[in-house]
Amino acid sequence: MSEKKRIYLQPVPVRIWHWINAFGIITLILTGAQVRFPESVAIFGSYKNAIEVHNVAGLTVAISFSFWFFYYKMVRNTLDKLYIPDQEDLKHGLLRQMLYYCFWYFLGKPSPYHATPEHKFNPMQKSAYLAVMFVLMPLVGLTGILLLNVTPLRVLILMWGGIKIIVALHFLLACSLLAFLCTHVYLATLGKTPLAYIKPMVTGWEEVEEHDYEAPEAPATNPAYRPVRHYPEYAQMQQKQLHD
Amino acid sequence: MKPNQLQHAGSIVKSTLIACVCLGLVGQSGAWGFSYGDQAAKNEACLACHGDAREMPAGSFIDRRRFTRTTHAEIGCQACHGDVSASHPDGAQMPRADCRDCHADVSEEYATGLHATKTGCAGCHNPHLVVSPKVISGQEINRICSGCHNSLEMTATHGEWLPQAELHLRMLPCITCHTGSKEYFVSLYIVKSRDGSRFGKMEVASHDELKQLSSGREIVSLIDTNLDNYVSLEELRIFNRSQKTLRLHGMMTPAAVSHKFEMLDDRRNCSFCHTSGPAAMQTSFIAVPEGNGTFKRIAVEKGAVLDALYGTPDFYMMGSTKNPTLNGIGLAIICCGLIMPLGHGFLRFLTRKNRKGKEPQP
Repeated sequence: MSEKKRIYLQPVPVRIWHWINAFGIITLILTGAQVRFPESVAIFGSYKNAIEVHNVAGLTVAISFSFWFFYYKMVRNTLDKLYIPDQEDLKHGLLRQMLYYCFWYFLGKPSPYHATPEHKFNPMQKSAYLAVMFVLMPLVGLTGILLLNVTPLRVLILMWGGIKIIVALHFLLACSLLAFLCTHVYLATLGKTPLAYIKPMVTGWEEVEEHDYEAPEAPATNPAYRPVRHYPEYAQMQQKQLHD
Repeated sequence: MKPNQLQHAGSIVKSTLIACVCLGLVGQSGAWGFSYGDQAAKNEACLACHGDAREMPAGSFIDRRRFTRTTHAEIGCQACHGDVSASHPDGAQMPRADCRDCHADVSEEYATGLHATKTGCAGCHNPHLVVSPKVISGQEINRICSGCHNSLEMTATHGEWLPQAELHLRMLPCITCHTGSKEYFVSLYIVKSRDGSRFGKMEVASHDELKQLSSGREIVSLIDTNLDNYVSLEELRIFNRSQKTLRLHGMMTPAAVSHKFEMLDDRRNCSFCHTSGPAAMQTSFIAVPEGNGTFKRIAVEKGAVLDALYGTPDFYMMGSTKNPTLNGIGLAIICCGLIMPLGHGFLRFLTRKNRKGKEPQP
């Protein structure tokens, strides 16, 4: 029988950044909806309120994003390792994780990936976060900064193709972020309990089974065996089925 | 009769005479087929000297080109400067009419506004240059205001409450927010880059520049292709797509200009303009520059202005210009994001028995 163990997964700066980002992005989505559809949305009262809250939230998220980048890249120096999928992730990890979400999860099989402080994200998370944190967020932030300074940054706006291109880009990127947010929040409930993945983002600690820390076996020469290497529960389950 | 009484009686007689001349001329123009040509010939007697910048000191010089486009040119120099002595120029003070003699109603309205204690008519209007706001550009109107109101200072003051203050002050005539009007229209000016590059500062294109671009034909033919003096939405779209150096700039302008300058609280409500198809933005005109420096209005299809402006590559107005296709794409993206929570969540619910007992209790 496996024992429970707590691992310190999310350091304080990451948690602060995450929740500033979360509230900031939700505020941006709501105010953004009012700014674009003033005749249908009036959550923040007057139009001016919505614009001002949107601007403040946008700048807060942009600054928070800069701190996040600085922390992971300069302080922890784990940005590349955490966010850029490696060869194994691309070759097998992505497919394995996708299979888990689409089939194995429904059959009651455990997740093939277990987070550690050094490898916090599964291959799908890595790919999604890479797109979100290195493409979506910087672009939505940059287009927002351009729209916030239409007159002083006029030449830059024209270099991007004009204000309409910037607005269209900002809007579509924001829609993509909202789409990501829906998926992100839902997947966060797929842990062993609905709050299992959410708790570490509040307390920093995640409870894991002791055997999760077992050292992985040596890489198999046959790629077909690779899923088993990272998937001890699956192997155990197969053995159990054989015995039964 | 005492001397001051005589003077007073004289001024009444003078005012009455001037008013009669003005009213007579106004009446003539409609009833008897007033000919500006006749008046122009009379004005020419004065302009022969006063129109020569080399001969006249700055205060007495009259810009012939700009004066002839004013309504005051139609009533003639003598309507306001009636008592010019036969010995003129003899150094005597030139007689001047009081603006109130003709514009009493404007004067009364002006007296109730914020400017009344600050300056008189001449503070904003040079009677030899003044024209109707219908025939000048919004930038020219604002140039009058900036004679007293420093642009940088105004940007800073407005910036205390108005987002993108500089942009607003550049794209709107001050009178749009500071005078009341029941109706508004959008004046569309043809602008072009000052240095010909796409990054250059955009300014209202002159008559000569547009004449050159239209290959000598009527300027309006650049937009009003069938020359029916009416610009349809389709014609605007074609213009927007075909032009590389020209753009349309829209300025919301009051239909009836009031002289009561005031702070209108409803203008601080952004949704006065920034909403989908605001009532104040349904009527529009294209302002085509004329050879004499004024503008000719060409009517544009009602309600079309925002669509038309949206066609211009560099125009975006928050809350007003929305592309339905873009909204559709955005909605589709958001729906894609809901596939996982809804689709997966539904299957998760159906297969919950498979995971029972395998998930530890919290």
